[in-house]
Amino acid sequence: MITLTSYLFISLVLFLVGVMVMLARKNIVAILLGIELILNAAALNFVAYSRFVTNNLDGHIFALFIILVAAAEAAVGLAIVIRFFQIKETIHIDEATQLRN
Amino acid sequence: MFHQILFLMSAALTLICAVAVLVTKNMMHSCIFLLGSLLGIAGLYATLGADFVAVSQIMVYVGGVVILMLFAVMLTGGKDFVSKAQNLLGLAPSMGNKWTFSIAGLVAVVFGLTSFLLINNVTKVVTIKTQNDEFVSTVNQLGHLLVKNHVLAFEISSVLLLGALVGAAIIARPKRQ
Repeated sequence: MITLTSYLFISLVLFLVGVMVMLARKNIVAILLGIELILNAAALNFVAYSRFVTNNLDGHIFALFIILVAAAEAAVGLAIVIRFFQIKETIHIDEATQLRN
Repeated sequence: MFHQILFLMSAALTLICAVAVLVTKNMMHSCIFLLGSLLGIAGLYATLGADFVAVSQIMVYVGGVVILMLFAVMLTGGKDFVSKAQNLLGLAPSMGNKWTFSIAGLVAVVFGLTSFLLINNVTKVVTIKTQNDEFVSTVNQLGHLLVKNHVLAFEISSVLLLGALVGAAIIARPKRQ
């Protein structure tokens, strides 16, 4: 039987994997991948509650706006990554030690 | 029955590909596994009856974000770079070593146990009985909601997307000689 708890468990595992990706990797693009996993876990929670608890469509609206904000964040984040690579010739996170040049 | 098979397949695809994103050493393979995980989440949306969200997930993520990630990986590629900067864990390669994975695993265990305590309380919330497996299309109602109740957020999101587009183009422009 598929219940709310099964969706919550999948969402929890996705969130934990996203946190581990963010903490374990030293590559800036890999950290952005972790952020995408975390945002998807949050959106899945919204849609699951919308189906099993409130039974209206507000959770779907929230999930759509989360997808939108994630797309905007990925665009700006990857632009920053490419600019960083032009300056430093690497995308290792330990090289990002100063704000200017 | 069909819903349960689709749920199990989507959940397995999501979780296996998410773990593969974590453990693989190749950045390109990591992006491809993220694509599989996002497709599995779209399948989970379909089992929840959220058809428009599932299609949006596939179009925006698989068609946009993952392609953008692949372009970024290809534009910034090269050999595995070991930073010369001194830090607490010594010289770490860019895909992590055993120290970074140990710290991440410790954080995940602590947070996971805490979340299990929280979920024990959360699952006592009253869930309604949704016995109808025949889903109705949500596109009509979502369109009405977006331009009636949530019209301010809708307009602000369009301004946000325009700002992100212009900002990304300005930040990533080539260096002026």
